[in-house]
Amino acid sequence: MNLKKWFVATLAIMMVVSLLAACGGKSGDGAQDSAGNTNSETSGDTSGDTSGAPGGETGELKGNLVIWTFFDQVNEMAKKFEEKHPGVKVEVKMFPGDQYQTKLLTALQSGRDVPDIFDLERAYIGKFIDSPFVADLSAMGADELVQNYIPYVKELGVSADGKVRAISDHSSPGGFWYIRENAKKYLGTDDPDEISAMVDSWDKIIELGQKVYAESGGKVHLIANAGDVFDMAAYNVEPWVKDGKLNIDPKWQEYYEVQKEIRNNNVDAKLPFMSAGWGNALNDGSVVLVSMPAWAGFMVDNKDDKAVGKYGVAKTPLGFYVGGTYRAIYEKSENKELAYEFIKYIASPEWQEYNLNKTGNMPGNAEVYEKNLDTFKSPMFGDQNILKPYYEMVKAMPGLKADKYGEDILSKWRKVAGEGITNNTPYEDVVAAFKKEVKNAFPELQID
Amino acid sequence: MNTKVNKSYYGYFFIAPFFVGFTVFGLVPILYTLYLSFMKWDGFTDPVYVGLANYSRLLQDSFFYQTIGNTLIIWILSIVPQLILALLLALILNEKFVRGKHFFRAVYFFPHIVTPVTLGVMFSLLFDWQTGSVNKLLMSVGILQEPFNWFNSPLWSRIIVALVTCWQYFGFNMIVFIAGLQAIPETVYEAAEVDGATRTQIALKITLPLLRPVFLFTFITSVIGGLQLFDSALMLGAGPENSTRTMVMYLYETAFKNFDYSYGSAVAFGIFAVVMFFTAVTARASKLKE
Repeated sequence: MNLKKWFVATLAIMMVVSLLAACGGKSGDGAQDSAGNTNSETSGDTSGDTSGAPGGETGELKGNLVIWTFFDQVNEMAKKFEEKHPGVKVEVKMFPGDQYQTKLLTALQSGRDVPDIFDLERAYIGKFIDSPFVADLSAMGADELVQNYIPYVKELGVSADGKVRAISDHSSPGGFWYIRENAKKYLGTDDPDEISAMVDSWDKIIELGQKVYAESGGKVHLIANAGDVFDMAAYNVEPWVKDGKLNIDPKWQEYYEVQKEIRNNNVDAKLPFMSAGWGNALNDGSVVLVSMPAWAGFMVDNKDDKAVGKYGVAKTPLGFYVGGTYRAIYEKSENKELAYEFIKYIASPEWQEYNLNKTGNMPGNAEVYEKNLDTFKSPMFGDQNILKPYYEMVKAMPGLKADKYGEDILSKWRKVAGEGITNNTPYEDVVAAFKKEVKNAFPELQID
Repeated sequence: MNTKVNKSYYGYFFIAPFFVGFTVFGLVPILYTLYLSFMKWDGFTDPVYVGLANYSRLLQDSFFYQTIGNTLIIWILSIVPQLILALLLALILNEKFVRGKHFFRAVYFFPHIVTPVTLGVMFSLLFDWQTGSVNKLLMSVGILQEPFNWFNSPLWSRIIVALVTCWQYFGFNMIVFIAGLQAIPETVYEAAEVDGATRTQIALKITLPLLRPVFLFTFITSVIGGLQLFDSALMLGAGPENSTRTMVMYLYETAFKNFDYSYGSAVAFGIFAVVMFFTAVTARASKLKE
């Protein structure tokens, strides 16, 4: 009898304990991780000392780094960094998809199991850049790293108080991609400079678009979507919020009217960016000039190298970029020196040039652009020096800081104005609907 | 005094796992959400107490009211065909002499296994106005002359979201109905047959009344489930003029896109109140009939 009682009691306790253990599993991991950090702290310190020493031999870096990202190419970065510094072990934790920022924010808030370096995407860097979680890189000498940077790339990593807090290893310029044969047929030339000149203003685009539409019997359109104008305008206008007030740049009105003209004159194929139809148009040429970022080459069907030499890239009326990944150091990381070495590495021409040749990702450092301007070729673009159009465009873009409102308000504008274009709504109505949305999402903003 | 009742406390250990799990994963988050709803917190700085400010903002939030309306419309558009379809199929597949009924039961249940996100993506591709197969089909049959932009029309956007939900759940409800039908004793039918009742009379006077508890179950679960509609709708987007933005989508946008956790918490309690209200209405309405 007694034995049976014991058995029952033990079983019950085991069940409860195992449940608690499962719940506590996470904190156990955390403890282990922070232990790992303590380990690396000591070695990190030594590494700091070595690199601080005269003639600092970088080969002697030691320690462990933890990087959080949503972007798989960080693995390559980590690999190259480890090759260069065999004493360093870089652990890349990847969280694909849009849950990354929530996950990151939760970790930063709780302060447990936190990475040394974390990636921030253009879409939400503005929310993080002025937060206390992000270390001041200027204090570690980062101004020097970005002095030759493309202005816009540098500025996005700078906080409101003027300190560098995040650095990207790339720019993400966009341009008009076209199929060469198609351009010859509808535009009369496949020369990128000539095409760039043909579409350097909205009026020219609208006129040319009407011609293409008429000549193709309504089957071919000049551009994919009137919404492309949003991309081009987005970072060439005043910030959305100035001194706590909603600020609608008057240029938006001009762009909105242009967009309606484009739509009403059949200049665009009404295909949204990255939709299935858009992908088809890019490959089959039912759209002559597809505005897209340099990194979107994976949308091209290049099976059996059939797209080799198929495309050209021309300049858009305004320079633009889409997205961008920035790397910041966690303020309370015990591994800052080593983390900074990593940031230094990805900001270096050495890595960016390697990356350009390996993945075709455009550099953030202007030096790398200039050095490769006449030599870099990409198979899809044949013998065109594609850095040229991109470089000319991004160089001219204003360096604007990211704030916590900009991207969200921009996406509200895209949505409301996009619907307006489809339904041919007057500008005033669009602005009224837009203001209502902004007011609702950000009641703290002053709206006239 | 010696009682025969065993007052041993070991029983508590056996029920403890549920309560521990519920406290950690259910109760604490709920209470924390309640706490947050009285704060102002964007996730980056420390929360600041603001009293009922979030709730008064919620009461004046026309976008929130719109999402309640959207959710109800979508729910009604999906629940009516869903229950009719489920009931009809259940009645048919419960017949003794239908061939391959097990096969069809399985087939109709399949959509329920597919994740809602996949369904959302699938339907958005099907109904894409330029490349989607629905438009192509309608045009080749001659019903449409030129492609129709489904997702530019508030009504059609809602119908499509409702269609996804309907398609996803009719199989599940059908199984529930079949289970309910099989629980009706054979003897009642036999008695009816002996008394010379027609098939329609049997269906209307015996089957349907005896199915009422099952009806009530599916109805209440679908009120709760339908009002929490989220994933498939999210994949189809907020729609023109936010016409397919559901309550939970609004919660998600507020809390996890705008990082307004505090207001998001207030929205969550707003949704709770709405769902409670409609559940109570449903339960009450079904009682009144008795």
